[in-house]
Amino acid sequence: MSITRRKVLAGSAVGAASLASGLAAPAIAANEPIKIGYLPALTGPSSSTGIGINRGTVLAVDEINAAGGIDGRKIELIVRDTQSDPTKAVNAVAELTQRQKVAIIFGPLNSGEALAATPLIARDKVPMLHPCWVDELIDVKKYPMAFRIAPTNTQVGGGANYYVVDVLKLKKVAVISDTTGYGTASVNTYVPMLKAKGAEVVYTNHVDAANPDLKPELLRMQSAGAQAIMPWSVNAGFLSRILNTRGAMGWDVPVVGQTTLGSGQTKALLDKPENWNKVYSNNFRQVCFAGGKLPARAEEFVDRLKKAKVEMGDTLLWWIALGWDGAKMMGETLKAAGPKADDIVAHWNKTKDWPGVYGTVTWTPEQHNGFPDTEVVMCEVNSLKDGAFNLAPGYAV
Amino acid sequence: MTDATAPAPPARALSLARIEGALPWIALGLVGLLLPLLDDSYIGVIAQRAYIYWILSAGLNLVVGYAGQIAIGWVSMLTLGAYTTAALTAGTATPAWHPYLALVAGGAVGALAGVVVGLPALRLRTFYFAMTTLGFATIVTQVALAWKDVTGGGVGTPGPVFPWPFDPGWGFYYFCFILAALATWMTANLAASRFGRALVAIRDAEVAAEASGVAKPRLLIAVFLFAGALGGVAGGLFASLQSYITPDAFTFEMSVLFFIAILIGGRGSILGPALGTIVLTVLPEFAAPLVQWSTFLYAALLLLIVLIIPGGIADLLDYKNRRPLERHREIVPQPELLARVLDRRTGGEVLSLSDVELSFGGVRAIAGLDLEIRPGEVHGLIGPNGSGKTTTLNVISGYYAPEAGQVRLGDAVLPPRAPHLRADYRIARTFQTPRLIGGASVLDNVMIGGTIDGEGSFAESLLTLPRHRRDEKRLREAAMLALAVVGLDQLAAVRADRLQHSELRFMEIARALMLRPACLMLDEPAAGLSADEIRRLGALIVAISREGTAVLLVEHHADLIFDICDRVTVLNLGKVLAAGTPAEIRSHREVVSAYLGA
Amino acid sequence: MFASIVSYGLAVGAVYALIGITYNVMFSASRVFSFTAGMLGMLGGVLGALFIGKLGLPAIVGLVLVLACGAVLGLVTELVTVRPVLKSIEQHLYVLSTLAFALMVQQFVAVEWGTEAQPFPRLIAIGPGWLDQQFWLPMLACAVTIVGLELLYRKTLIGRAFLAIAEDSYAARALGLPETQLRMASFALAGVIGTLAGFTGAEMLLAFFGNQSILNFYGFVPVALGGMGSNRGAVVGGLALGLFQQAANFLVGGIFAAVAVFAVFIIVLLLRPEGLAGGSAARRV
Repeated sequence: MSITRRKVLAGSAVGAASLASGLAAPAIAANEPIKIGYLPALTGPSSSTGIGINRGTVLAVDEINAAGGIDGRKIELIVRDTQSDPTKAVNAVAELTQRQKVAIIFGPLNSGEALAATPLIARDKVPMLHPCWVDELIDVKKYPMAFRIAPTNTQVGGGANYYVVDVLKLKKVAVISDTTGYGTASVNTYVPMLKAKGAEVVYTNHVDAANPDLKPELLRMQSAGAQAIMPWSVNAGFLSRILNTRGAMGWDVPVVGQTTLGSGQTKALLDKPENWNKVYSNNFRQVCFAGGKLPARAEEFVDRLKKAKVEMGDTLLWWIALGWDGAKMMGETLKAAGPKADDIVAHWNKTKDWPGVYGTVTWTPEQHNGFPDTEVVMCEVNSLKDGAFNLAPGYAV
Repeated sequence: MTDATAPAPPARALSLARIEGALPWIALGLVGLLLPLLDDSYIGVIAQRAYIYWILSAGLNLVVGYAGQIAIGWVSMLTLGAYTTAALTAGTATPAWHPYLALVAGGAVGALAGVVVGLPALRLRTFYFAMTTLGFATIVTQVALAWKDVTGGGVGTPGPVFPWPFDPGWGFYYFCFILAALATWMTANLAASRFGRALVAIRDAEVAAEASGVAKPRLLIAVFLFAGALGGVAGGLFASLQSYITPDAFTFEMSVLFFIAILIGGRGSILGPALGTIVLTVLPEFAAPLVQWSTFLYAALLLLIVLIIPGGIADLLDYKNRRPLERHREIVPQPELLARVLDRRTGGEVLSLSDVELSFGGVRAIAGLDLEIRPGEVHGLIGPNGSGKTTTLNVISGYYAPEAGQVRLGDAVLPPRAPHLRADYRIARTFQTPRLIGGASVLDNVMIGGTIDGEGSFAESLLTLPRHRRDEKRLREAAMLALAVVGLDQLAAVRADRLQHSELRFMEIARALMLRPACLMLDEPAAGLSADEIRRLGALIVAISREGTAVLLVEHHADLIFDICDRVTVLNLGKVLAAGTPAEIRSHREVVSAYLGA
Repeated sequence: MFASIVSYGLAVGAVYALIGITYNVMFSASRVFSFTAGMLGMLGGVLGALFIGKLGLPAIVGLVLVLACGAVLGLVTELVTVRPVLKSIEQHLYVLSTLAFALMVQQFVAVEWGTEAQPFPRLIAIGPGWLDQQFWLPMLACAVTIVGLELLYRKTLIGRAFLAIAEDSYAARALGLPETQLRMASFALAGVIGTLAGFTGAEMLLAFFGNQSILNFYGFVPVALGGMGSNRGAVVGGLALGLFQQAANFLVGGIFAAVAVFAVFIIVLLLRPEGLAGGSAARRV
């Protein structure tokens, strides 16, 4: 009996070893596909954004491949669902860089996973394209191969702050977030920025997103004289409660903040549609309606989505656009510079005004955050149509 | 006196068992050592994760598997260790520490947390304790979120990077491997020591453990401390592997994973939970489409294990205990060996009760009882059901405190409500229903009786230092001798729950003999025995008393009482109805009418 | 402010109290503390949102369906996780089988229903404000349950049979009471109470798979504090907990409120392990 057990254990060790070595280093022959690693969170608690982005990414890769790929080589998108779990993200990074030997990695989107993945990907010297907004991810010295194709949290907050202080011309502001990484980091960054602009922050707090009653918080804001509420959270339940409480109190102040304020999920949780009035969320000039029309690139993109029958009703246009831009950027880079890491990085360092649907991207060797300040704008959330919104009132068009 | 040489422990059987036990570990160790040769960092990362989870689970195994405490929210140890190590290395709370020192600090914080979590276990029932561990895990995460200056709050903080030779990559891999091996070694050592046996005894036969002198609070706290330390160290390593930690990395699913790995592996085993941990860490990497169902599948697996194979993998692999036993076994005690077990005493002490009273609610169980049990005598205690016989035993044992009166051994008053101190007075007993550890061997069950004779400390057992080894050798020999005395030495290696009822009764006596008792109390030892066995039991009891032990025998078998007792006391309704020699009692009118019948 | 704390606190406290009663009913019938109490509460909200919100059934029909599902789940719990394990002497196995089952259901809901909290439809058009029906519905449910249970236990034969089984199952069996059927009925009743709690509380707590863990813990605190088996203790404990939690939320914020609740829980338990109103432990030797 002991012999049997020993044999079984030894046999499985040998089996595992041979399996591993067989998959270790695929030969890169001339028409082997070029592999891109992709780390979305398609399941788990914070997955709605990931699902939206995924549609754009997959569509772009399919189109590139249908048009002949990169000089005859197809792009293979190796997807590893991180499940909104940083430990799975770390495992996936090891697999993508070591075993699959991908040329570029796109993602992760969520902050906890991105923060864990970035140093590891940098250690493995693989170029990385970030859709995530957390500021700490980009550092040209620590992570020379990491580039961001989305705005930073600072830019996003800056856009909101600009709207409240410079467009709406309000002075007293209440800032509230949930207790997640994203929420706390946002408030910590934006409150000083507001003060630097001369605004008076009369209330600031982090509240557990599961807290069912936000009335005490809003009453505190009201008694402090707040003229605007700025919430920072991606939790639709939390945001909807703020809006519902504001409506129940009959308190007529603008709510200016995180993009999720305008999501379908938030809308579904509202007590009455009026609660969605005077709510402005982050959005991006390239994908907003201005004077009733989308900018040309976005218009064309929406037609493309309709033709490809991509579902838009339950997500946001800019998510799909972000995913699309990411894949497009990677495809064009591979075509122009080839799959070697240093070539890719060199190419990216020279990017100027790249015309994405989501944003116009510029990178330099000193600045790896590619999204322009001017394109971070606020939109009116109750103008949702085909996944996009109207530019908020007051901007010089 | 015949010169009966003490039987050696079944040497060949046991040593084969020990080698059998080592083979899987050698295989695992070799795989671990040679894995880097594959030069596949992906496998390396998965393996490191398995080692780290195992370090934590090895400690949790002692808490859940051995001590039987349902500690569900154990991820809190990982969280605390990770944040401590990360914060100290990053210098957010104090000037930056060296990573290795920070790792030690992480272990220390884990140890402290282990004690905090473990203290409620001493007073709370199973479910309540489980809930407190869940609450604790939530609290730890909340604190990590709130204490922004130190932990980075929701944004998190970078993990420590260990310097050469354990730097990230294969160096760190070997670091995790070595620490995992150490954790395995230490927990296995503890499991095979008197502390490990005592833990299992507390879990499965708490009353018997107390009677053998096991002090539950001290032992449990020591185990929680050690397990917490392992969890904290695992946390520090985890933070390094992740390179960056955020509160959302420490999920409830992780707690569930650790917990289930141990139960799948089997309680009371080290190899089982190790294999369970490895499987549960590696499995999600293979079953990609099922990955969002992973916790569902783990829970389903747990349900299956609980319903079908509660013993887990370890039970399935336990071939030794599937070998059929001899069918018609006879228990043949060897009383002649007793001289080597008991220190022959002259002028031993009298166990006396004076004016003891005890009521339960409105019922007077004992109403003024005087009793004297003299060394060298067998004193019988008989009476109808409900007359207070077992209650009297329990008062002497210290499970109940008398409302009036005292229990004395010689001149010393025995402290009430302190059953685990009776062993120090060399008062031993058996129980009305045999209390045994079903999953342990007969030898292990008997060795529990000698727990207080060990000299080595908890730490010495962890590292198998010489005193521990001496203890084990002594205890083993003494237990084998005791088993030979009661006639069960052939069954030493057999699982106790495979024994017949009568064999269990004799096993309890062997366990009691380990204390070299000055006073031995037997609670209906003849119940369920055949006539032959009762005769042999009687001879054994007499032989024990002739070595100078004071024997108190509570029994219903009137024949046995009158055959072997030197004195008999009859209880009725909590009071002494009659006391005297067997002949006097037999003809006592009231005794006959109340109890014996014509 | 004050009105908000009181109305919210009492309402959510009533939900906790009902979950505590769910624990008690299962415990009385089997000496088993089941992890499924929180699960039932969570499902009350999720199934209610499914039937009324997504499938568009009228509210009363939805409620009846939800309660029926609760009863069925209670029966399944008894059959699959409690009965097979009762024969074993080892107490901890009960905890594990119910835990495993509850986890399976929770994960199933997380995957199939979603991990985001979904809205629960408004049941009656009264409110908003501190008299909003989302507040007094749970309190009404709690009152109805308490009165109903009292009537059941004191006035009906089956209720007294429940009490007999809880008091001394050996004696009850010796008297010929069908222990198994009574236990099944108890678990079905617990299923109804648990889902009722979740259903009436869902306008506040939303239809969210994470409610299971929350209700498991916060529904247990009243039982621990009030004494296991004591429904009155559970009600008092639940309402007190709800008020305390809301007051703490308002005064010190969410994180410290959770720590405060936990600290109180631990301290009370360590001082009085049987709870403030519970009975003493049985003889073990």
